[in-house]
Parts: sequence; C-alpha cells; structure tokens
Amino acid sequence: MTQAVATVPRQRRPFRVARPFQYLALAGYIVFLGFPLLFLLTTAFKTPQELQSPNPTFLPTTFNVDNFAAAIEKANLIHAAGNSLFVAVFTTVIVTLISLPAAYALARFKTKLRGVATGWILLSQVFPFILIIIPLFLVLKQIGLINNLFGLILVYTVWSLPFALWMLQGYVAGIPAELEEAGAMDGASRIRILRSIVLPLLGPGLVATSLFTFISSWNEFFFALVLIQDPNLQTLPLTLARFVGAEGQVQLGQLAAASLLATIPSLAFFALIQRRLTSGLMSGAVKG
Amino acid sequence: MKRKAVLGIGAVALAGLLGGCAFGGTGTSSGGSTPDGPVTLTFQSLAYQDSTVAATKEIVDSWNADHPDIQVNLTQGSWDNVHDQLVTQFQGGTAPDIIHDESSDIMGFANQGYLADLSPYLSDDVKNAVSDDVWDTVTTSDGKIVAAPTLLQTYVVFANKDAFAAAGVDLPSGDQLTWDDLAADAKKLTANGNYGVGWGLKQPTAAVMNTSLGFDGTFFDVKDDGSATIDVGDDELAVPEAIHSMAYDDSSLDPVTLTQSGSDVLPGFLGGKYAMYIGGNFLAQQIGESAPAGFNWTVLPPLAGSAGPVQAANPQTMSVSAQSKYPEQATEFIDYFMNADNQAKLAQGDWLIPTSAPARDLVAEQTGADSVWVPILKTGEQLKGAPFQKATNYPQWKDQYATPGLQQYFSNSIGLDQLKQQLTDGWSSIG
Repeated sequence: MTQAVATVPRQRRPFRVARPFQYLALAGYIVFLGFPLLFLLTTAFKTPQELQSPNPTFLPTTFNVDNFAAAIEKANLIHAAGNSLFVAVFTTVIVTLISLPAAYALARFKTKLRGVATGWILLSQVFPFILIIIPLFLVLKQIGLINNLFGLILVYTVWSLPFALWMLQGYVAGIPAELEEAGAMDGASRIRILRSIVLPLLGPGLVATSLFTFISSWNEFFFALVLIQDPNLQTLPLTLARFVGAEGQVQLGQLAAASLLATIPSLAFFALIQRRLTSGLMSGAVKG
Repeated sequence: MKRKAVLGIGAVALAGLLGGCAFGGTGTSSGGSTPDGPVTLTFQSLAYQDSTVAATKEIVDSWNADHPDIQVNLTQGSWDNVHDQLVTQFQGGTAPDIIHDESSDIMGFANQGYLADLSPYLSDDVKNAVSDDVWDTVTTSDGKIVAAPTLLQTYVVFANKDAFAAAGVDLPSGDQLTWDDLAADAKKLTANGNYGVGWGLKQPTAAVMNTSLGFDGTFFDVKDDGSATIDVGDDELAVPEAIHSMAYDDSSLDPVTLTQSGSDVLPGFLGGKYAMYIGGNFLAQQIGESAPAGFNWTVLPPLAGSAGPVQAANPQTMSVSAQSKYPEQATEFIDYFMNADNQAKLAQGDWLIPTSAPARDLVAEQTGADSVWVPILKTGEQLKGAPFQKATNYPQWKDQYATPGLQQYFSNSIGLDQLKQQLTDGWSSIG
C-alpha cells in the first residue's frame, strides 16, 4: 500500500528578485549621506594650492594638518565646543523631562485640550526665527538672560519642545494600551505603569527625541548669534562663521577642519546611543 | 476655575511680553556722559584675514596700553550676518559702542537714529585725510557724519602675464584700461578652449552698480529723505551690455563664470583657463596664497568707461552707537584707528585701499613698485559716492529685482529691453 505523500508546494520567497535592488538602493543612500562627511575629511587636509587647483583631486596629495592647527588656534574651538556641549546637554535633559509626561498625557487622555494642544504644537513650528527674535531679545534682556548660556538653554528648550512632544506622543501612542491595562489589573499604580511598562518600551523613542533635540541645539546659529556677544560664551556655530568673509570668501581648508572637529561630539553621542534606537522591543508583547 | 487659571496665565505672559517690549531700545541717542572713572568700550571688529585680525588686535592692545582710562574690549563679528545682529542689538539697546561695518549697510541704521554724529569729535587730521567724495558716503542728508570710512574695495582686472605673452598680446599699461580695450584684448586671448576673461557674477548687482559710474550710470535720483526715482538709460546699461557682448557675441568671456562666485572662478584663472580675471581687489590675497609656484600675475590699470576710471566708493566704516554713553571716547579710539600707520597695516592685510591719503602714501612707500599694489592703489583715486547708497529701498530692489534681472540677462534668458523694464518696474513696485 502506497501512501500518498502530499507534496507541499514550495513557497516562493516574495521579493527575492528585488533583494539586490534593495541593497543597491541602500548602498546609494549610504553614499549620499556619507559623501559630505568624506568630502569634509579630504578637504580638511588639503593645502590652499590644492583647494584652488584647476585639476582638483578627491584625496589630498599630502596629509597637511596646518588647517587643524589654524582652526583650533583661530576660533578657540575647544572652549566653544564646551559651551555648545553645555547648552545642548542641558537642553536635551530639560526637553526630555518635560516632554515625557506631557507626551503621555497627550497620547492617553482624551480631553478637549488635546486637539488644541496638538494644533498649537504644529502652529508653533511655522513661525520664522526672524519674526520672533526681536521681542524674544527684549524679553530676555529684561530678565537678564542676554549674554548668558542659560538664556540660550531657555530659548532652545522652548523651541525644541513642541516638536519633541509631537514626536514622543507618536511613540507613546504606538505602545498598546492593553499592556498598561494588564498592569493596572495587577494593581500597579499609574506611576508604576509609567516607570515599569511604558518607559522601557519607550526607549527608542526617547533616544530618537533626545538625539533630535541635541543635534538641533548643537547646530543652532541664529539665536546664538543674537543672544551671545561675549567671546567667551560663543558656541561652535558662531566660531565657525569666522571662516566665512565678505563677498563669499571662505577659508575652506580651515572651515572644513573646524567643521570636522565640530561633528565629532554629535557622532560620538549618536554612536553611544544608536543601539537603543533599534525598535522591535515590543514585538510579541501582546498576543493576538 | 480652570478657565480662570488659563486666563490668568495668559495675562501674565502677555504682560511680560509687553513689559519686555516697553523697555526696549528706541534708538535715540543718550548723549555723552562725563566718566567718573575708567571707561570700558566694546568694539566689534569684522576683520577676516588672519593678518588683519592680528593687526586689529595689535592696534587695540597698543591703545589699551597707552590709555588706561579708556579701555577697549575687542569682540569678533562676521560680515555674513552683521546686519541681522545689529538690527536686534539696536532694538534691545545692546549694540557695541564701536561698530565695524560698511557704508551701504549703515546708512539705513543712521536714518533710524541708531548711530552717533561723530562730527563734533573727529579730529581735523582725520577729516582732512579723506576726500569729500568718500565722506559723502557716510554723511546723512542733514549733515551728520555717522562713521569714519576706513578701507575701500574696487573691482580690478587680474592678468596672467604668461598667457598674454604666449598670445603675443601686450600687457595693458598706462593710467586706465577702457572697456573697449578689455573686450579687444579678451578676443585676442581667446583660443584653444581658453577664454580671455572669467568673471564670477553670481551676485552681479554690486559689481554693475559700482562700475556703471564709469559711464555716468547713476540709476537713481535721490531726495533728502531717501526716496528716489529710477532712470535706466544707455549709461546705466553700458556695463551689463559690455559683459553680455563679451560672453555671447565675442565668446571671449566664459558665460559659465557669470553664474559662479568670484572664488569659484579663481581655480580657472590659476590654471590658465582665463587670461584675465575680474573681481574685488581683496582677491589678491587669495591669489597670492593659492597660486602655484611660478604663476606670473599682475593687476591691470583701472577699468574706465566714457566718464573715466570712476567707481562707487563703498568703504568699510567705524561708527559709534547712539546708545553709547561715551561717544567722545569711542571717537577718540576711532581717530587713533584711522591714523596712517594703523590703516596701512590693515590695508595690506586685506589688500584693500585706505581712504586716508596719508595711509595710501604709506602703503605705496611700504610696497614700493609692487606690480599689484601700484594699480590697486590707482583704482582708489577716483572713487565717489553713488546715489544708490542713499536710496532707502535699494537693498530690497537689489534682492528682488536687480539681481534676478541681471542674472537672467547674463544667462541670455532675457534681452536688454526686458532687463531695463524689470529694473524700472521693480523700483516702481516698491517705491
């Protein structure tokens, strides 16, 4: 007696043909993102003659470090980086501490204020800097926060908070409410639920929001230009502006060297926390 | 209850905002004060080249050493954003005592009352050292001198001497180089894929407005209150037409360069692609720094139109904020800054021309028969104020109509009549 063997048809792997194209697109995207950094790196080591050569080469012929020495000496980069770091870290911490409970409230509590708050958050992002800088300057002057890094922190906090809040409330909304209900069923308080269930699952979102806040504070130029006059309090973007002169003159080698040094803290911060950006922590948390 | 709380918070916020605005600066002069003790002044410098930054610091240090009762704190600003910075600082009453800028930018501030009148404090030596035409660029319609003019930029023709020699073309000499001669030489030098001229005119308005004075191209008739009428005739269109003709009729000027900045065109000049390179005299610094070994270059005589080698003077300036408590002491420092030794030092750092005749003589003496400095200094002899510098709406017209119009004309997208129409209608629409 022969047993009929049911032949299971081999499943076709979906998108198998498309896979090489996906990798190709990814490689193209990486090159697109990485090229400016690579260009900065090669430019920073070139001599003025190489930079003005009619037959430019991508790589410098000699690795000349004069640009780095000149940039550090001329722009007092180390001190400026310290100021930028102080402002960016403080802003990031304050924005995160404020936006976390606010985002939770926005995502979970269905009140009439929610729509108004969300609308205001979006609306606040459309005001151009130039429109608010003079009234802001006058107010800060009255409270003694001109030429003061805490004044800059206050401005950056107010400026970053709406978008951070908007980002974070999306992450909170993505956490299944059933998880919190299950915690409540087990007798956990709202604070306990926040600390033990929501916060761990919100890790990637918090990291992304912190990163956004840090980078936007680190790179901000216009407010710093207007609010900080004391040379000892200048942030990195202000010192980098010294390499640009009138009529489009640029000391390109020194500017590239200084910019390269200025990106290191951001890169280090990202390297430190990028592993936390990987999501998928919630997969399987809720049984279907 | 909740509504009351919200209204209360709103009222407090509004009061804070209005309070802040109410105490803002008004731009009125606080007048001079008699100091009880040592005075400390802030001076924001825009010096850019390393040598000029060092020279500025040296001047301030020597002043501070000699004047213990008037100390100057030097801060560093940037040309790129000084205007926005000053707008805010004047509004907030926190502008530096001593302000470094340029005449075309400060006259708007002067008209709003933000700059002190220096005429009672400036020494006769300084007043006599600078020509009336240049003083005119920093004097308001009611006769207030709102700045001391320091250094001048002109548009010059840099030349690759070897390219001239290879083409068998004599290097222009004499007191001036006419536009016709420039076009003729450019034609002779155009061969084998190389052009006679490269000119970075990505931002064309300043170059056109400045050099048009060489044809009596004044563009505006300005009244005392800064309002103006525009008249774009043959004189005003002579320079744009000459440039366009070299680019598209003679093909002796590379049209690609008309879309680039001055710095973008420089490698082409250093590489021999362009025998002549037109731009601000400050570019001499970059050429000297970046030229390959053995690159043989010079500056040709000043460009001249039918009215001679005339260009608009737009000097760098040193002003005193009207909000400064010590305008007299601030002007005393400016007087010192303007002395021939200091100006000669700064001029050589930036390759710019001192406005003061004694400083120019000193630069000539210190640079000797240098083939670059001699013609550069010569271009500074016939500079005068141009009407556009005093037309209140000029910056807006420049950005919204003149620059786009000239860019279209230089890219051969529109003709001369359309350019004239755009410039005229543009002014009417904002006037």
